[in-house]
Amino acid sequence: MAKRQKRFLVLADRPVNKDGFIKEWIDVGLVAMDSPNDPKPSIKIENGVVVELDGKRREDFDMIDTFIADHCVDKSVAQEAMAIDSLKFARMLVDINCPRSELVRLSVGLTPAKVVSILRELNVVELMMAMQKLRSRKTPMNQAHVTNLKDSAPLLAADAAEAAYRGFAEIETTVGVVRYAPMNAMSLLVGGQTGRPGVLAQCAVEEALELSMGMRGLTHYAETVSVYGTEQVFVDGDDTPWSKSFLASAYASRGLKMRYTSGTGSEVQMGYAEGKSMLYLEVRCIMVTKGAGVQGLQNGSISCIGVPGSVPGGIKTVLAENVATVLMNLEVASGNDQTFTHSIERNTARMLMQFLPGTDFIFSGYAAEPNYDNMFAGSTHDVDDYDDYLVLQRDLQVDGGLIPVTEEGVIAVRNKAARALQAVFDELGLPAITDEEVELATYAHGTKDIGDRNVPEDLRAIDEFMKRGGTGLDVVRALAKRGFKDIAESVLRMQIGKVAGDYLQTSAVYTEKFEVLSAINDPNDYEGPGTGYRLQGERWEKLKNIPQAIDPKDI
Amino acid sequence: MQISEELVRQIILDVLKQEQGEGKPAKRQDEQVPPLSFKELGPAKTGTDRNEVVIGVPPAFGTHMTKTIIDIPHREVLKELFAGIEEEGVKARLVRVNRTADVGAVAHDAAVLSGSGIGIGILCRGTTVIHQRDLEILQNLELFPQSPLVDKDALRAIGRNAAKYAKGEHPSPVPTRNDPMARPKYQGLAALLHNKETQYVKPGAPSTELSVQL
Repeated sequence: MAKRQKRFLVLADRPVNKDGFIKEWIDVGLVAMDSPNDPKPSIKIENGVVVELDGKRREDFDMIDTFIADHCVDKSVAQEAMAIDSLKFARMLVDINCPRSELVRLSVGLTPAKVVSILRELNVVELMMAMQKLRSRKTPMNQAHVTNLKDSAPLLAADAAEAAYRGFAEIETTVGVVRYAPMNAMSLLVGGQTGRPGVLAQCAVEEALELSMGMRGLTHYAETVSVYGTEQVFVDGDDTPWSKSFLASAYASRGLKMRYTSGTGSEVQMGYAEGKSMLYLEVRCIMVTKGAGVQGLQNGSISCIGVPGSVPGGIKTVLAENVATVLMNLEVASGNDQTFTHSIERNTARMLMQFLPGTDFIFSGYAAEPNYDNMFAGSTHDVDDYDDYLVLQRDLQVDGGLIPVTEEGVIAVRNKAARALQAVFDELGLPAITDEEVELATYAHGTKDIGDRNVPEDLRAIDEFMKRGGTGLDVVRALAKRGFKDIAESVLRMQIGKVAGDYLQTSAVYTEKFEVLSAINDPNDYEGPGTGYRLQGERWEKLKNIPQAIDPKDI
Repeated sequence: MQISEELVRQIILDVLKQEQGEGKPAKRQDEQVPPLSFKELGPAKTGTDRNEVVIGVPPAFGTHMTKTIIDIPHREVLKELFAGIEEEGVKARLVRVNRTADVGAVAHDAAVLSGSGIGIGILCRGTTVIHQRDLEILQNLELFPQSPLVDKDALRAIGRNAAKYAKGEHPSPVPTRNDPMARPKYQGLAALLHNKETQYVKPGAPSTELSVQL
């Protein structure tokens, strides 16, 4: 164009126009929730065996069909559930007179294509209503990412402490350099219990190492056990639904909480979506999870969010996959954990889909560090958004899982966590954390404010710790010996929790008194106004009292 | 509605061009990079020379696709990796992994073929892994998952570090980089490029020994 219209020039510079948008490309499955290649719902059962699933005969099943047919579909309710018209079922999802328990009972009689055909009937507000009614745990909560670019242990400990102190019920780390994993896990173990006793911590790395760290008591749970919606992508991951089930059992047998991870867009991202819609493939993942007997799932596209985020209806689909998860009576850690846009408006709108109805974990990784330090390649919200988030909770009277804090309080827990880790490193013969490092970690915004550690030395030392069979009990001993009795006690209580196994229940977390809160003893009983989770009483007093609000008594 | 791949590509490229702003010349779709001239030397063999690093490339590398997601020609990619390896006095050998376009698998296949047990796997768009044959496929020595951040300097450093591992040293890992905004900008395109790349995968096919004139 020779002459540009000035408003268009301004629009072209808006952040939203830095995002990548793609028109649907159905042949490879670049389509959100409705592909002509998606199968039509059907089921045939003979002698207690599913012989046809969504138009495919048993002899033509791929391994995912087989797994779902044999382990997820409940043959005793399948006929009844499949006979309900999809539109009618969709209305039941939002009907306050149809209890959650009835929907959960029927859910295991559905096929993947049937679930998709039901979800296609709902708009976003109805999907939010369904989420409010169907999520497994009554009390909504939140998970944080705790990572940094330098894998700096003292900073990880300080950030973990602050995250726990601010109210996150679970904290998750990962690595820049893989071999740092056990040291990062240890930093969260100590930092997390310093910030708030009972917080659950994990370290997301390669699965064998992750399991080993869990068994040694360096972590409390795992969620990056990935499942996929097509056979080829499963095979590329060197896995099958059965091998994943075996892994899940391995965690459970050692008293470790775990959930799977999946999400729309992963199959097309990996090049093998078979032309199916992202939602159809994701529902297959959800049903594989249910079939494996795993208590929960992290989904909401997760690390592939740029893919559904780039096609029409993609962000609605992300909510739909969260709803499908809770419909199956699973815990959901509902995404919002990966940057997907340059636009603040898009970012907030995407987050409100889970924030407003509440989910088991609204974020499956709010960045408890500046995003430049987020080693999951950036979250939707980070430390600089804390106050915006607290104000959103206050504006809308919604419990998003975070509590207002004071600067003094944050400084105190950050410092204590870094000092505690300093003592642990000293006791365990790991490379020293200096007083200066403690001070810098206490007051830092991110790694730009701290020095470098000697990386090869750290790696050699933590390798050696793992080789000599180091465990969480070594950490307990070190903390106790050096006077951090309260943290030692908390780290030990978390180990005891694994023996008891109560936190393996669906949607389980620990309170600061080490009581388990789960879908069993805190079930979602939403049945319309006056029921379900209400932000009121003491909790509302706490959440509405942001420090920057002016008190009329002071004037 | 059905859209041709060509058109989708064009749309993305247009969005990217807009994003690059007016000051910078938008070079990506204009500059066609010619394919590399590879010589296929038969099935890849397991090396016996402990002083080598094997670079594994997927089926479309340098042939059907010729540049990374940030437009580094595949010729330059190989030049940097070779140079990095040779700077450390180690030999580089090139193989094409035909059976997969999964970066971990490509890198691990390369490592298994390598006399030193150290391999590099690099995808067409630039995603890279340094692997070691005794590790599991999904483990790695160093991983560079964000293809838009794999530039020439990083490639040279990756070559150098792979060579150091081959010599039994413990190098400092190539500094990790992170761009939280790479996903919104590039993930759709990466998905598109990967779908293109996987079309050339031949499941079960053995790897091929290659020589190339850079």
